Amino acid sequence: MSPLYACRDLVQRYEGREVLRLPELTVDEGEVLALTGPNGCGKSTLLRLLAFLERPASGRLHYAGGEDPRQEVTLLLQDAYLLRASVFANVTLGLRLRRQRQGLHDIYEECMRAVGFAEPGELAGRDRRALSGGERQRVALAARLALRPRVLLLDEPTSSVDARSGRAIVEAVRACVGRGTTVICATHDQALMTALAAREVCLGRRWDESDPAGAASSSDGGGGRA
Amino acid sequence: MEYLADGLAAALHLLLHLDDATRAAIAATLLSTGYAMTAAMLLGLPAGFALGYARFPGRRTLRLISDTLLAFPTVLIGLLVYAFITYRGPLGEWGLLFTLPGMAIGQAVLALPIVVSWTAQAVEGLDPRCRETLLTLGARPLQVARLTLWECRYAIGMVCVTAFGRVITEVGIAMMLGGNIRYATRTMTTAIALETSKGEFAQGIALGLVLLLMAFGVNLLLAFFRRRGRA
Repeated sequence: MSPLYACRDLVQRYEGREVLRLPELTVDEGEVLALTGPNGCGKSTLLRLLAFLERPASGRLHYAGGEDPRQEVTLLLQDAYLLRASVFANVTLGLRLRRQRQGLHDIYEECMRAVGFAEPGELAGRDRRALSGGERQRVALAARLALRPRVLLLDEPTSSVDARSGRAIVEAVRACVGRGTTVICATHDQALMTALAAREVCLGRRWDESDPAGAASSSDGGGGRA
Repeated sequence: MEYLADGLAAALHLLLHLDDATRAAIAATLLSTGYAMTAAMLLGLPAGFALGYARFPGRRTLRLISDTLLAFPTVLIGLLVYAFITYRGPLGEWGLLFTLPGMAIGQAVLALPIVVSWTAQAVEGLDPRCRETLLTLGARPLQVARLTLWECRYAIGMVCVTAFGRVITEVGIAMMLGGNIRYATRTMTTAIALETSKGEFAQGIALGLVLLLMAFGVNLLLAFFRRRGRA
């Protein structure tokens, strides 16, 4: 079976400065991957490339999913953004963009419960300003879960939330993994990696500090993966 | 100082019993400002959004031109528009000189750079995560543009209210292109200038008070948009 993602010699540069160099990385369907490494090593950049938010400066990034990857892949940003709208509107936004009009309330309830909100109905009409940072992050995750994505990309999902929100996020991602979703998560959170039983890929170093040879290493030895 | 107090008392009397001339000046002001703002928003909002949102060759130059036009002297706008709509000008046969639509053209030219530049600024100032969030939720390019515009709605509301405030208090263009014709093109600002020059402070102050009330309303709206925009 061919991998879902296959990257080779992936390089990204911003304003001429190299921010990522990845010799090889493959990700299978349903796999859970944890991207680790120091700040500035390119974890977020790699996630943005995998989410097709930007194109690599050079190298090959192959996605073996559907023809429109953006309809299958979603990314939760480290500091999630909610639109100037109610919580309900934010959670169901992706579905409404896909012209889905049926069952929105049921999906809203299900996804909000999945990220640890006991009474989703009470939050439905609330404005984003009335949410804490942790609640915003969980609402943003609920919006991604509502899409039932094939690939869920997470950028430090627990780094800016309290322990309770962090646990809720871990549980929601675990449930997602249980449904066969491919999860790729940039994180420093050892507990999260353990909970997800993720294969760890360490991106190693800051690219402006060292030579680019041997860019990433995999904790499982990788067999030519990363 | 007595004449000021007398003027204020007479102004309040005038306001309570609006005469035809005052009513006509208020109507002319609102009409010409309304026409001008409609035109400026119809042209300026899409142009400003495109300047702030899209990336295309020459965008920075256009932005620079639009920003420079913010400092365009109003008398020069009046002069240029006058040259176009005067009877010998290219649009002379339309008979726009000394009419409300003629005045509105000048006021629209005044408002247009404000609407374009500040709309572009509002769009550029939007949190970059907004676009990324929309893309990661599967939005297509047109949906991203539409929702980006919606996210800027309070900032754009503020732009329109600011431009409205600038246009409604303008006097040079209204005087040059409207001609200050009583019951026709005499606006509140030109009437204040005229009445003051005649020493008729009561009429001037009455109109000034109406203008002040409108400015207050505009500022209330501005405060609303500012508060919502910060959220």
